[in-house]
Amino acid sequence: MAERFDNLEEHLEKFVENIRQLGIIVSDFQPSSQTGLNQKLNFMISGLQDIEKCRQQLHEINVPLEAFEYIDQGRNPQLYTKECLERALAKNEQVKGKIDTMTKFKSLLISELGKVFPEEMAQYKAIHGEDHHS
Amino acid sequence: MYFLSLFRGLFYIWRYGIIWSITLVLSNTLGSVTSEHLLSHNTSWEGTSVFSLDVLLEIDMTEMFSTLYGQNEAQGPPGSTSLGFGPGKPTPPLPQNQVAMPGQLAPQPGDEGPVLRKPGAMNEPFYLLRELPVGNELTGNTNLITHYNLEHAYNRFCGKKVKEKLSNFLPELPGMIDCPGTQDGSSLRSLIEKPPVCGNSFSPLTGALLTGFRLHTGPLPEQYRLMHIQPPKKKSKHKHKHHRPQDPIPQETPSDSDPKKKKKKRDDDPDRKKKKKDKKKKKNRHSPDHPGLPCSQPNSSSLR
Repeated sequence: MAERFDNLEEHLEKFVENIRQLGIIVSDFQPSSQTGLNQKLNFMISGLQDIEKCRQQLHEINVPLEAFEYIDQGRNPQLYTKECLERALAKNEQVKGKIDTMTKFKSLLISELGKVFPEEMAQYKAIHGEDHHS
Repeated sequence: MYFLSLFRGLFYIWRYGIIWSITLVLSNTLGSVTSEHLLSHNTSWEGTSVFSLDVLLEIDMTEMFSTLYGQNEAQGPPGSTSLGFGPGKPTPPLPQNQVAMPGQLAPQPGDEGPVLRKPGAMNEPFYLLRELPVGNELTGNTNLITHYNLEHAYNRFCGKKVKEKLSNFLPELPGMIDCPGTQDGSSLRSLIEKPPVCGNSFSPLTGALLTGFRLHTGPLPEQYRLMHIQPPKKKSKHKHKHHRPQDPIPQETPSDSDPKKKKKKRDDDPDRKKKKKDKKKKKNRHSPDHPGLPCSQPNSSSLR
């Protein structure tokens, strides 16, 4: 999987470099530069062909739209990954806290009910058995 | 007689409520008229009501009430047939396992009521007691980052400081990439909303098509020059020359930030180019060998 990303990355780098050199030629054009310009244009077309070939290998890759928003704002998309991980960890901790609180409440409730209604709680435990969470 | 019947009716209304009074009316309408007492008396409402009251007083009120609500008992009301209710549902024999609690009713074979009214629930000591749900193995109680082996990614992104700008993620990309894409129309969102027309294959340009790319000589107008200028980069110890592929044309000087090439940057400025041209013109004018025509075309020193 990393190989097809490397292949695409290489083609993109070559394409961008070709475009950059094309921009240099055009910025101060000379008559002798015409052949070089034509060559660069054909390199650009072949680069697009190579990138299109890479597309078939990556059709199953999904990119979240939120990452595109980061790029459009000129921000590092790794910040999106960082925020996703932080949000996941925070939510995980929040849910774990809820589970722990409910478990403690259940054990406390069973113990208190056992003091007030010992016979009924014995029947309840006989029905549901000893719960491993209590 | 009229007042006595009225008093009795009111008395029973008070005691058994309106429902009993309705049953009283129903019993009067559906009641058997075979009795001699009925035939002999007037068929007024008051008379029949008196007769039905006298008969029904012998019947257990609770059993009457329960039959009207579809729950059969082991012993049906004795006066029901005489009143014309018809035969009730045959009551099934009680299973030996189930011990009928006092005051409880026998289980119904065809009763398809809600879960709470099932015989199992009704016979348990706790009302509304249900089975516990099947526990899920993966819950929020476990650390999901370690579960999905994302510790390395977490340390990489959250342990170290991630730089804010896009140019830090793509340092070799030329141009002003830190600016928002909406300013120059290069946003990815616009590309998603209005995708370009695709489907045609890429074919190389022929000679006839390349004639459209014949350009005028000379530098670009100033409004188009800023497109390839990059923001000033910090001095990096490690040079990235090895990342760039070998090109026939040397690198562009405005994008380089090395101190050695800053002099070349100065040379590329249009004002300094003009000054150099002026100087050259002056030199040429003063030199005796020169024919006198100024050198209009700049040197190719820009392509360095």
